[in-house]
Amino acid sequence: MDIKLPDSTLRKYLITKATPEKVAEALTLCGPSVDRLHHKNGNSVYDIEAITNRVDTACAFGVAREAAAILPLFGIKAKLNNSPYDIKATDLPERTAVKLPLIVEIKDEALIPRFAAIVLSDLIVADAPTEMKEDLELSGVRTLNNLIDITNYLTLCFGQPVHIFDYDKIKGHKMILRESRAGEKLTTLDGKIHKLLGGDIVIEDGEGRLIDLCGIMGGKLSEVDEKTQKAVLFVQTYQPKKIRRTSLYTQERTLAAQIFEKQPDTKLVIPTLIEGVRLLVKHARAKVAGESIDLYFQKPQAKTVKLDIKWLNRLIGYDFDFKTVTGILKNLGFGIKKISASSLAASVPTWRLHDISIPEDLAEEVARIYGYFRLEGKLPVTANLSVATDPLLDWEYAVKRYLADLGFTEIFNYSLVSRDIFQKANLDTDHSIPLTNPLAKEFGFMRCSLIPSLLMDLEHNQGKVNLPIRIFELSNIYLPDQTAKMLSGLPEERSILCMATQGISYRHSKGYLEALFGMLHIPNISFASVEGNEGPWQKNQTAEIYSGKHFIGIFGAIKQGIRTAFSLNDDIYLTNLDFQSISDLANTDFSYTPISDYPDLIEDITIQSDRHISELIQLIKQESALVNKVGYKDSLKNKHTFTVHFNDPKRNLSESEVTKIREKLKLLGKRGGSESVPESVLPNPG
Amino acid sequence: MNLKDISKQATAGTTTAGTISELKEIETKYLGRHGEFNQYFDQLPKEEKPKQGATFNLAKQKYSAEVQKKSDEIIGRESAREFDVTVPGILPSIGHLHLITGAIEEITGIFEKIGFIRRRYPEIDTDWYAAEGLNIPKDHPARDDQETFYVSDNVVLTPHTSNGQLREMEAMKKPPIKMINIGKTYRRQIDISHTPMFHQFEGLLIDKNIDITHLIGVGNYFVQHYFGRDRRIRLRPHHFQFTEPSFEIDITCGVCGGLDCRLCKAGWLELGGAGMVHPTVLKNGGIDPKKYSGFAFGWGVERVLAMKNNLPDIRNIYSTDLRILNQF
Repeated sequence: MDIKLPDSTLRKYLITKATPEKVAEALTLCGPSVDRLHHKNGNSVYDIEAITNRVDTACAFGVAREAAAILPLFGIKAKLNNSPYDIKATDLPERTAVKLPLIVEIKDEALIPRFAAIVLSDLIVADAPTEMKEDLELSGVRTLNNLIDITNYLTLCFGQPVHIFDYDKIKGHKMILRESRAGEKLTTLDGKIHKLLGGDIVIEDGEGRLIDLCGIMGGKLSEVDEKTQKAVLFVQTYQPKKIRRTSLYTQERTLAAQIFEKQPDTKLVIPTLIEGVRLLVKHARAKVAGESIDLYFQKPQAKTVKLDIKWLNRLIGYDFDFKTVTGILKNLGFGIKKISASSLAASVPTWRLHDISIPEDLAEEVARIYGYFRLEGKLPVTANLSVATDPLLDWEYAVKRYLADLGFTEIFNYSLVSRDIFQKANLDTDHSIPLTNPLAKEFGFMRCSLIPSLLMDLEHNQGKVNLPIRIFELSNIYLPDQTAKMLSGLPEERSILCMATQGISYRHSKGYLEALFGMLHIPNISFASVEGNEGPWQKNQTAEIYSGKHFIGIFGAIKQGIRTAFSLNDDIYLTNLDFQSISDLANTDFSYTPISDYPDLIEDITIQSDRHISELIQLIKQESALVNKVGYKDSLKNKHTFTVHFNDPKRNLSESEVTKIREKLKLLGKRGGSESVPESVLPNPG
Repeated sequence: MNLKDISKQATAGTTTAGTISELKEIETKYLGRHGEFNQYFDQLPKEEKPKQGATFNLAKQKYSAEVQKKSDEIIGRESAREFDVTVPGILPSIGHLHLITGAIEEITGIFEKIGFIRRRYPEIDTDWYAAEGLNIPKDHPARDDQETFYVSDNVVLTPHTSNGQLREMEAMKKPPIKMINIGKTYRRQIDISHTPMFHQFEGLLIDKNIDITHLIGVGNYFVQHYFGRDRRIRLRPHHFQFTEPSFEIDITCGVCGGLDCRLCKAGWLELGGAGMVHPTVLKNGGIDPKKYSGFAFGWGVERVLAMKNNLPDIRNIYSTDLRILNQF
C-alpha cells in the first residue's frame, strides 16, 4: 500500500538535520521505498510504499522510527520524538461532563482483539486547525470538519484507523458487535448500499439497526454531522481475514481495511484513543462524558527469536560484530539478551509480532539497516555438470533460427484466445481450457491449437505487406488432462510448430518443410492423405506427415470457406507439427556418405503411371543399386518425368548399362499391385 | 572452301562479336579442335599437307591475333563502360526471429556460461506450486499483487516463474541446484507496461554457504553482460513471502550513467525482485534449510528488453503486424 507523508508530519516524530532528499534516499536504500519526493508550498511530501508485512511503516511515526534507525549509518544524527508508546492510561483527560451511558456487547471475542471507545459531549463542529488540514490534504485526504479530520489525522500519525459516531444516533446507546447474517443490508458513509454475504463484522444498535461495517467504513445511520454534540470515539483492531474478505467482495478497499487486514499493533489502541480525546478537547471543545472502555481480548504474546552471529554472517556474506548487530536491533525496538559471545535472543517489539518469527527475519533487519548496497558481490563457484537441459528447448531455438534464415517471420500470439476464432477456423473449443476469471472475452480460453491464431495473423496483415508472406509460431498448446479430472491433474502442455505461407505454391511451401526435415535429419519422412474430420483443411490437398510409422503433423491447404471467413483470397498452406516428436526424432548422430570419384550419368525418364509420385520415386530407387539420386521434374496427366542420377563409386558407367535400367524403369508404371511398395511409404491411417 | 575464304569468314565473324562469350563461340567455331581451320587441313590430301603447313599455321596465327585484339577491345570497352555502383542489390527472402526469442536466447547464454541449467516448468500449475508452497497462504494480502487467472479453484495460470522453484527442488532432490527457468507467465492486467501474457526468467541457486553477496555477484554479472560492462546493480529492502530477506534490485541507468534523468529515479532503474530462499520454501521442496541456503530472482524478459532497446510501450512486443515484426 502506498501512502503520502508530509515532511512536516514526519518531523513531529523525528528530530534530525537531514534534508528531505537525504531522508528519502536513506529510507529507499534501507527501509520503506520512497517512490517520489514532491515539494509543495515550502513543505515536502514522501510517496512511500509500505510493504505488506510492514503495516507499522504506513504512518508518520512508523517512518520516523525507521529513519531514526537508518540515518545514523549515513553519519547523520536522528532521534525519535513524541512516541505514542510513551502515552500512559493516566494521560487521559478526566471526565468533566455528565456521565453518558454506553452499553457494549461483544457477541464473539474472536472477532476483535481489542475494543476501545469513549463518550464525549459538548462538541462544537468547526474547521480543523489549518496546519492539520494542510497536512491531511498533502497526504491525499479530503478535509471535512474538525471531528472527521482528527480521526484521519490520527491514522496519518500512528497508522491506527479511528472512527467517530454521533452518540445520539445510536439507538438505546447500545453497540452490539457481531457477525452479519446473509442478506442483511447496510448503507455506508459513501452512500453505497451493501447486501452482506454474512460473516462480516458489524455493529447493531439498540433497535437492531446496523450502524457500522466494522474495519471497512462507518454506517450512514450514525454519521456525525454539523449538528453533532455528543460522540463516541472508537478505536479497535479486528480479525484480519474477516476484514479482508468483506473489503474485497464489497469492493471497499479503504485505507482502514488495508491497515486492519495487516494486523496493526493492538498496543497502539489506547494511546491513539487518548491522543484523539486530547485533540478533540483542544480543537472541538470536547468534554469527556464517560470512562474509557477497553476490552482487550487478545493480548500480544511475548516472542523472542535467537540469532547466531556466525550463522548471520554466513547468510549475509559479511563480517558483523556483536556490537553492530545489537546496536541495529536495539534502534529498531528489539530487546537484546546476550546468550554467548556470538549469539543473542531478541525480544520482538509489539509492532513487529506478525512479521518477525525466524532468524532469517532478524538477518534481514541487520543487513538492510547496515545497507545491502554496501555489500560487495562475488560469483558463486557452485557447479552441477551432470545435469543437462531438455533437448526440446535447444531444438526449439535451432528450428526458429533455421526458419528465420529460410525467410519466415516469427510471431508470438497470446496463449489466451477467444471462442470465436476457434469457431471461425472450424475447430471445436471442447479441447481448450476456459478461464474462470478472464480479463476479457477475447482472452477467455487457453488455446489447444495455434492454427486459429496464425490465420488471424494473416488476416491482420492483408494489404499491409507484399506477398509472399511466410510466418510461424512455435509455442505450447494446452490440452485438458485426459486421464484425470482437472482438480487433481494438470493440463498437458505441448510444444507445437505452426507455419503458414501465403502467395507461395504448394510445392514451394512443402519444400520449406522438407528442408527443415533435412536439417533435422529426421528419417523416413512420408506424406499420406488425411482421414477423418478435416477441420480447417482442404481435404484433397492435405497430408498427414509420418517419420516411419510415427505421426508428426499435418501439411496442407486451408479450405475456401475458412479463407473467406478470415478474408484471405490467396492459397494458404499451413503446417502443424508436434514439436515434441520433432525433438525426439531429430538426429545429431549422423555420418556422411563418401562422394564417388566417378561422375554421375544423368537421365530424364518419363513414366506413365497412376501411382503416387512418392511411390514411383521409391520404386526407381529400388530398381538398381546404381540409382544414386532421384529428382522429380514435372507431370503431364499421369506421365511423370524424373531426373535420375546413376553412379557406381568404383568405376565409370557405360551408356548401355544405363539404357538397360532406363528401359526397365519405363515399365514400372505397367506393373500392377503395391506389394512391392515398402511399408514406410504406405499411407498410415494412424 | 579455301584457306583464304575461311580466314575471311572468320575475320568477319570476329568483327561482329559484341561480347566475350560471343567471341569465344566464334573462336571455337574456327580454331577449335574440330573447327573450320582444322577441318580444312584434315581434308587435304596427305601429300598436300607438308606443302601447305606453313601457310596454314600462319593463317591460324594471324586469326588468333585478331581474336586476341578483339578480345582486348571488348574488355577495354567493358571496363570503360559507365556502371552505377550505387544500384541497390536484390534481397533474398529474409525472415525474422521474434525479439522475445532473441532475448531469451541471450539471457540463457549468459547464465549457461556460469553453469545455470535452462529449464521450463508448467504454465498452468496447481495453487500449491504457484502460491501456497511458496509461503503464500490462501487468504494472504500478498495475493493482491499477483492478479492471478484461475482455471479452477486449485489450478492457476502461473503469475510468475517461481512455481519452478519447488518443481526444480523436487526434480533435483539434492543441491547443488542452479537453474534458469524461463517461461510464459500470466497476470490479469493490460496497460502500457503490462500484457496479460509475458515472460519471466527465474534464477535459483541452492548449495552450502550461499549468501547475499553471491546474489549481488550474479546480478552484476548478468547486467554487465546483458546491458553493458559499465552497468551494476544495487539491492534495496522489499518483501516477498517466498524469500527472506527479500530485495528489490535496481540497475544503474544507461542513459545518464547513474546521475539522474527523466527515465530513472536518481540514476537507478528497477529491474525486479529477488531474495534468499525462505526456509519454509526449502522445506516444502524437500531441502534441509539447516544445511543449505540459496537465492532466487524472477525478472521480466519484456522488462529487460524494453530497458535495453528503449521500447516505450510493452504491448508492441506482442504486435502481430509484420511491418513491426520485420524490423526485428
